[in-house]
Amino acid sequence: MSSGESSEPGVPGAPGGPGEFTTGRVLSILAEIAETDQVRKDLDLDLYGLEILDSLATVQLMVALSQEFGIDISPAEFERELWATPRKIVAFMEGRVGP
Amino acid sequence: MMGMDLLGRIDRWGEIAPGRPAHRSGGRVLTYGELKARSNAVARYLAARLPGDRSPVAVLGHKEPEMLAAFLGAVKSGHPYIPLDVSLPPQRVERILAVAGVRVTLTPAEVARISVPAAEPATGPATGTVAGTLAAASVDAPTGASAPAPVGPDDPYYIIFTSGSTGEPKGVVITLGCLESFCRWMLDEQRPGGPPLDEQRPGGGEVFLNQAPFSFDLSVMDLYLSLATGGTLFSISKDDIEDPRRLFAALAASGVTIWVSTPSFVQMCLAEKTFAGPMLPHVRKFLFCGETLPPETAAALLDRFPRAEVWNTYGPTEATCATTSVRVDREILEKYSPLPVGRAKPDTIVAVLDEDGRPPAPGERGEIIIAGPNVSPGYLGRPDLTARAFLPWVPARPDLPLQPPAPAASVARGTGSGPGCALRAYRTGDWGRYQDGLLFFEGRMDSQVKMRGYRIELGDVEANLRALPGVRDAVVLPVAKGGRVESLAAFVVLASSGVPGGQDGQGDAAPAGFDEFTLGRRLRRLLGERLPAYMLPRRFLFRAALPMTPNGKADRRRLAAELEPGA
Repeated sequence: MSSGESSEPGVPGAPGGPGEFTTGRVLSILAEIAETDQVRKDLDLDLYGLEILDSLATVQLMVALSQEFGIDISPAEFERELWATPRKIVAFMEGRVGP
Repeated sequence: MMGMDLLGRIDRWGEIAPGRPAHRSGGRVLTYGELKARSNAVARYLAARLPGDRSPVAVLGHKEPEMLAAFLGAVKSGHPYIPLDVSLPPQRVERILAVAGVRVTLTPAEVARISVPAAEPATGPATGTVAGTLAAASVDAPTGASAPAPVGPDDPYYIIFTSGSTGEPKGVVITLGCLESFCRWMLDEQRPGGPPLDEQRPGGGEVFLNQAPFSFDLSVMDLYLSLATGGTLFSISKDDIEDPRRLFAALAASGVTIWVSTPSFVQMCLAEKTFAGPMLPHVRKFLFCGETLPPETAAALLDRFPRAEVWNTYGPTEATCATTSVRVDREILEKYSPLPVGRAKPDTIVAVLDEDGRPPAPGERGEIIIAGPNVSPGYLGRPDLTARAFLPWVPARPDLPLQPPAPAASVARGTGSGPGCALRAYRTGDWGRYQDGLLFFEGRMDSQVKMRGYRIELGDVEANLRALPGVRDAVVLPVAKGGRVESLAAFVVLASSGVPGGQDGQGDAAPAGFDEFTLGRRLRRLLGERLPAYMLPRRFLFRAALPMTPNGKADRRRLAAELEPGA
C-alpha cells in the first residue's frame, strides 16, 4: 500500500529526495523532545545508549508524532529496537504514513 | 497520642494469614509468614553484628522482597534504616553512608543468605516464593543473641536522603511516631482493606501499586498502608517502567486496587489508549503525591476509570510523605484549576504565614508551615540545617516568631492538638494559599524544583558540576513545558586548562575539536558518577562567561530567557 512499507529499513531521503517530508517532520519533533539538534545531524545516534531518550520522553514522542501525523501509535506496542536511532524512528514513521 | 503498634500489626498478618502475599515483584512472591520470619532473622543478625549500637542500617537494592525484610528487621533490632536505590551512583551512596555513620549495609543477596531458624519456618507455599529460593543459607542468623529492642515512638525509624542545596545530600529523620501518625490518618481516611484494625478478616486485602523506589518517600504510602492492612504490595520494576510494552503487560496482570504514583507516571500511562477500566478492572482509588496533579490528568482518569476515586495529596519528606489530601471529583474539577492539595490531616496544623509569621490577607499567598506529630525531628547530623527549617510551634506563646494563626480561612487546624501542646513545625519553603478551606500549592520560594516527582536542588547539581575537572562555573535551570518542569539545562563555563575528561581546550565556549553535543554527553557521563540519573541535565550549553547581575551573581533570568522557545 505505502511505499514506506519498504523492506529496506531506514533510508530517509536526502534533502530534496523522497522521504524528506516525513523525515523532516519526524526529526523536528524528535529534536524538540530530545532537546538537541544532534538528532538531525547524526541519524544513527544511539538514543537510549546515550540517554537522550528515556521512557517518559519516548511516550511524549509517541504522543507528539501521533498528533502531528493524525495516527495512533500505541505505547503498549513499543519496541525499543525499532526506536533506537533517529533513522529507525523515521523508518517506523514512513512505514506508518509513507514518505 | 496512642501508638498504633505498626510493627505488631504487620507481624500479626504473619500469624493470621501467613500464606498471603505481602509483596509481588517480577515473578517473585513474599508471603506475610516469610516476611515475619525473615525480618526476625535480620533483627537477630543485626543485633549480633551491631551489639549495643543504634546506628542506621543502609538497605541497598531495587524493590526486591528482601528489602522489606531488611527494613522491618532493622527497626525490630532498634536501628533506623536508610533505603537506597541501586540506580544511585556509588559515589553518592558512599557519601550518604559516611554522612550517616552507617556500619552495616544490607543488600538483597545478603538478606537472602541470613538463614531463618527451623523453629521459625518461612511459611507459605514453597514454589515460586522467596523461601523457595533461599534454601541454601550460608550465613547463620545468630540465635543466641539477646532479644533486640525495637525502635520506640521517638526513635528514628527511617532516614531518607534528599537533594541538598550545597551538593551534599541531607538525611531526613522520620521517627516511628511520625510514621504511625501518617498511617493512622491514611487508614482512617482511605480505609484500605475494610475498617482499621480488621485483622480478624484475613480474606480480603488490597493490592497497592508501588511505583516509586523505596529511596523516595512516596513509597512510604503504598508500602506501609499495604503492610498495615494485610495488603499486597505490587512493585513495578525499573525494567518494566523503561519498556512501555512490558509496563502495560505487567499492569494488566497486577490486580491493583489502590494505585499510588506520581502524576507524571500516570500521565505517561494515559498516553496508552487501552489504559482504562478493562486493563485495571479492580482499581478503586488513585492516590497521588510528589508533584502537582494537573486537572487534565485527573479528568482523564475519571473518564477512563469511572468507578475509581482520584485523590491528590501534598507534603514534604520532612513531614512524612503527605500531610494534606483532597478527593478530586467532578465538582472540584469544575471549580478549581489548578487543583487544590486539600486539607490537613486531623492532628496537624498546616498554616500559611507571611514573613512576620502572620496569616496573609485572604487569598494571598504565604509560606506553608506544617506543625504536627508527623514532622521530622530534623536532618541527620546537621543541626545548622535543622535550626533553619524546624522550630517549635507553641500556640500558647505569642512572643515566638511564628504566632498561632487565627482560626481563619488561612489555617486548617486539626482536632488532635490541645492548646499549649508543643508541636514540631517545619518551614516547607513552599508558597501556599488557602481558598474555601482548601490549601493550594503555589510553587517554591527557592531554587528547588520538582521533576517527575523528584525533588532536586539546583544548587546540588551546580555544586557537583563545578566539582568536575575542567569546569570553572555552572548554572543549572529548569526547562518547563506547559507549566511543568520537563528537564534541566546546564550553562557551563569551562576552565581554560582543559576539557572535562582530558585534552586541552581553549577556555572558550566549546573548545576546538569538540562540538557542544559531544562535550555535553561527556560532562553528563562524568556527572552521572556523582548524581542520580534523574538529576542530570539533558542540555549542556557552553559559554565563555556567564552573564552577571549588578551585584556580581550569575544572571539566572537572562540565562532562563535563552531557554525560552524561539530564543
